[in-house]
Amino acid sequence: MNAPKKQLVLTNRVGIPDSHTLAVYQKTGGYSKALSKTFSQTPDGVIEEVKNSGLRGRGGAGFACGMKWSFVPKNTGKPTYLCVNADESEPGTFKDRLLLEKDPHQLIEGIIIACYAINCHTAYIYIRGEFDLSYKRIHKAIEEAYAQGILGKNVLGKNYALNVYIHRGAGAYICGEETALLESIEEGKGQPRIKPPFPAVVGLFGCPTIINNVETLSALPFILSEGATAYKKWGTEKSPGTKLFSVSGHIQKPGVYELPLGYSLKKLIEENCGGMTAGKKLKAVIPGGSSVPILTAKDVETMMLDYESAIAHGSMLGSGGVIVMNEDVDMVWALKNLTRFYAHESCGQCTPCREGTGWVDKILYRMLHEGGTNEDLNLLTDISHNMMGKTICVLADAMAMPVLSYIKKFPDDFRNHFRRTGSSPRAKVI
Amino acid sequence: MLFQFNAQNQKKFEELLSHYPTKVAALLPTLWLVQEQEGNISFEAMEVVANLLDVSPAHVYSVATFYTMYHLKPVGKHHLQVCRTLSCALMGSENLLEHFKNKLKINEGEVTPDGRFSLCAVECLASCGTAPAMMVNETYHENLNVQKVDQILKELK
Amino acid sequence: MILEITSGEQEVLPGPRLFNMAKIKLKIDDREIEAEAGTTVLEAAKAVGIEIPHYCYHPGLSIDGNCRMCLVEIEKIPKPVISCHTRVAEGMVVKTQTENVKKMRNSVMEFLLINHPLDCPTCDQAGECRLQDYYMQYDRIASRFAEEKVHKNKMVDLGAGVMLDQERCIACSRCVRFCNEVSKTGELVLANRGDHVTITTFPGKKLSNPYAGNVVDICPVGALTSNEFRFKKRVWFLSKTESVCTGCSRGCAIEIHFEASKVYRLIPRFNPQVNSYWMCDEGRHGFHFVNENRILKPTKNGVEISASMAISYLAGEIKNLSPASLGIVAHATLSNEVLSILKELGTSLGTQVFFSRNEPHNPLSDHFLMTKDKNPNQMGINHMGFKPLSELTQGQSLIVINGLSKKDGELVTQKKAKVIALFSANESELSKNCSLVFPIPTFAEQNGHFTNGDGLVQAFKAAFKPRGESKEIGVYLHMLLAQLEDKKPRVAFGI
Repeated sequence: MNAPKKQLVLTNRVGIPDSHTLAVYQKTGGYSKALSKTFSQTPDGVIEEVKNSGLRGRGGAGFACGMKWSFVPKNTGKPTYLCVNADESEPGTFKDRLLLEKDPHQLIEGIIIACYAINCHTAYIYIRGEFDLSYKRIHKAIEEAYAQGILGKNVLGKNYALNVYIHRGAGAYICGEETALLESIEEGKGQPRIKPPFPAVVGLFGCPTIINNVETLSALPFILSEGATAYKKWGTEKSPGTKLFSVSGHIQKPGVYELPLGYSLKKLIEENCGGMTAGKKLKAVIPGGSSVPILTAKDVETMMLDYESAIAHGSMLGSGGVIVMNEDVDMVWALKNLTRFYAHESCGQCTPCREGTGWVDKILYRMLHEGGTNEDLNLLTDISHNMMGKTICVLADAMAMPVLSYIKKFPDDFRNHFRRTGSSPRAKVI
Repeated sequence: MLFQFNAQNQKKFEELLSHYPTKVAALLPTLWLVQEQEGNISFEAMEVVANLLDVSPAHVYSVATFYTMYHLKPVGKHHLQVCRTLSCALMGSENLLEHFKNKLKINEGEVTPDGRFSLCAVECLASCGTAPAMMVNETYHENLNVQKVDQILKELK
Repeated sequence: MILEITSGEQEVLPGPRLFNMAKIKLKIDDREIEAEAGTTVLEAAKAVGIEIPHYCYHPGLSIDGNCRMCLVEIEKIPKPVISCHTRVAEGMVVKTQTENVKKMRNSVMEFLLINHPLDCPTCDQAGECRLQDYYMQYDRIASRFAEEKVHKNKMVDLGAGVMLDQERCIACSRCVRFCNEVSKTGELVLANRGDHVTITTFPGKKLSNPYAGNVVDICPVGALTSNEFRFKKRVWFLSKTESVCTGCSRGCAIEIHFEASKVYRLIPRFNPQVNSYWMCDEGRHGFHFVNENRILKPTKNGVEISASMAISYLAGEIKNLSPASLGIVAHATLSNEVLSILKELGTSLGTQVFFSRNEPHNPLSDHFLMTKDKNPNQMGINHMGFKPLSELTQGQSLIVINGLSKKDGELVTQKKAKVIALFSANESELSKNCSLVFPIPTFAEQNGHFTNGDGLVQAFKAAFKPRGESKEIGVYLHMLLAQLEDKKPRVAFGI
């Protein structure tokens, strides 16, 4: 994985040998200024600082982090839990894996800060089952932290106890959805829960729970040690700070890039990533993981990497997984690849998603292998609309949005798969 | 002989229980522990786990079938998991998968007769920047091409 | 089969609603309505006669919200919401009939049907299938699905007499929730994910709980059918009568489903005071005595005779006996009405009335519905003050109504008592050996009341006319008393 050239908030230790060890972490300023600032103020003070920083959740939804924390009810008589979402599974996204492998202590420090802010004494790191090296590194880092009194009964000698446990997933994309993640820990099967109640009020084991992404938590040590103002130096007014972008596909230098929000997507592709491979032309870019609407080369010209610009371009910033595709890519093929993914990953709970993901995938398979019709495009569009916003979680939307945008933005690719004559055979209903 | 944890894993299991306020919450890690010890999770082991965690065997079965990483049947000594999702597919993982099928003469979900290799296609491994990628057991192999995987196969005894 | 209460029948609301009586004003489809705080939109709508279609919601189970059929629009909420889970709120404006809501229902129907086998002609659920019902109401469009359906197992014997067709299943999880929440046995789960989800037991294990038959009732489609009932009768040929289960002293409210004089099945009927929505399998399967092994004509020494002739013989015998040497034996399966008549008869003849009862057997009782006392009306017997058969005197002559238990039969032999007449619906050792036998109807052929173990008096209704020449006890006794000239009735008996 390529380290970004410019060192900012999250990736400062990437590239330093043994950056995952406690020794290197402490040598480079870890577990000191941020924690002493944290413990020198009230939990509400910490929440205020994070609110001021404008940090938004980096898992995909982009919800304001400090705001989320403030939803935790006080004095419920129940414990509060923190769940760290390290179930990074959004296609095209590999930034949390970098943070887990290269800087696990930064995450642990972020966990301590968050837990102190929400008065939580138990945190679970839900890590995806495939992440073996990440698991080993974070496991080792937790051991080191306990041994040094950074975790445990008295965090850094303070009258504050914190236990951190790792909970390994076992191969299910849906467990990255926050309520599915809770179910996966609590009952085993990761099926999203109906909201409300929201996890901040009724979450893990029926207790108030905050679920934060690895990247969100990893930004906290910087925000606490350098202050909200320093953090806000980067980014735009509404999307302050930096964000990690995982870039993959047909580009010269794929990898994780830490960039200030509001950075030009075109510049990221052409300059940071060294442009397209094999001298090919850019055709399409997925800017925020496979679940967000796709962009054309023309969209890329003006799109800035912040939450607002993404929406203005009909897409979303999502997880920051940037997948770059060149002129040779058949968008029907690309979409079919993703619809298989969603059909495979649908938890099977809600009717529109359980049945719709598989149906769309089968139609695209037929278009790709036997040819389709204009009627099929209308059908795909209609099915997508029938799926969106009708289910417990947004996995259905996560497939419907790409389907709609691929058809809208690359209609010619679909026309290329039309059959010459006749229309599709239709099954008869009783 | 009923399935049971060996001494070391029994200790690990008890440690796991201490992580959660309920027993059933330890289900995923307990199944991992079974797989770590046995290589796969048999129906018999599921019943034992159900008993240990005070849940129905059917519940354990529904959880085990919900996830892709629990092996309900034995896999090869080297379990090849080739990523097939978009970023890897853009970089040629479909060809890679075909190459494995031809070379090992097995399909996805199958084990070679000698038990050395099993093959499956998996969804995004979060290795998109180093695509195409695969996992052999728990180890990542990245930036693959045909020559590279041939070399890897040769080294895996 | 659909087992839910339509508007008006639900008198006592379960759960927290009992404790939270605050009224909420809201609007559903432009109608101003009031509902108790905590009520769901779906229930509030149902209470005023607005049916919101649904599959996964069942009032006796937890809310799962998976089928998405009950999506409605609520003003000020940007996305449609499921009415089974959304609680009413002051000033809420709910719309259940907009074009958008109808389109959502159509689309859910379409999604449910794409992988469904559409095998109504051979499906036992036809006629009481929600897919069929809602298809006629909402979807009614030709399928747009041209792909290969997902194939699953068609004939899975789950155990406990329940058959599963995985392809017909719509994964609503009602049966799973029943096994987790009601029978608390947890045999059923949804395994796998996506459109491969399937209802299953643990491999090699069976559905095996004494309430398993309820999963057939609550299955909204033809996925779960009853081995006992399947392929016996198309449901539209069946009539229904409200009744009470005779299996034990719980007295679960039931429906008798019958055609002509034959019972095809018993299903539970909602009664919040007794059985909620459920019944046990023993009770469910305990109707065959209505159809089989019936005594249809009076006999004397095995020879069929007319009822009036048989009564004359009985009157002749009684005249030769002193009241003290005669006894009447009532059974704890008889209705309060029959018991009252027998009591009056005893009084007017000056004879003792004893009782016999079904003996307990395994399973005796459980945490839920089944009780140890396998008689529907022991409490009625107790209220009448009838005596146990152990108080028989040596050599007494007995008129037995509805049979003797094995133990009581032995007692009768031991005391050298003689059964001079038997009134019974079913053949038995006793009926074969008794000189005078009178056919009487079963509970399915008469109106009456049972008093259950908790003292609750419940009515049951006649589904069809008494079979053969069987007559209700009251009819026989009027005939008898008319012949016993010096022992005329002192009161008129109501039948």
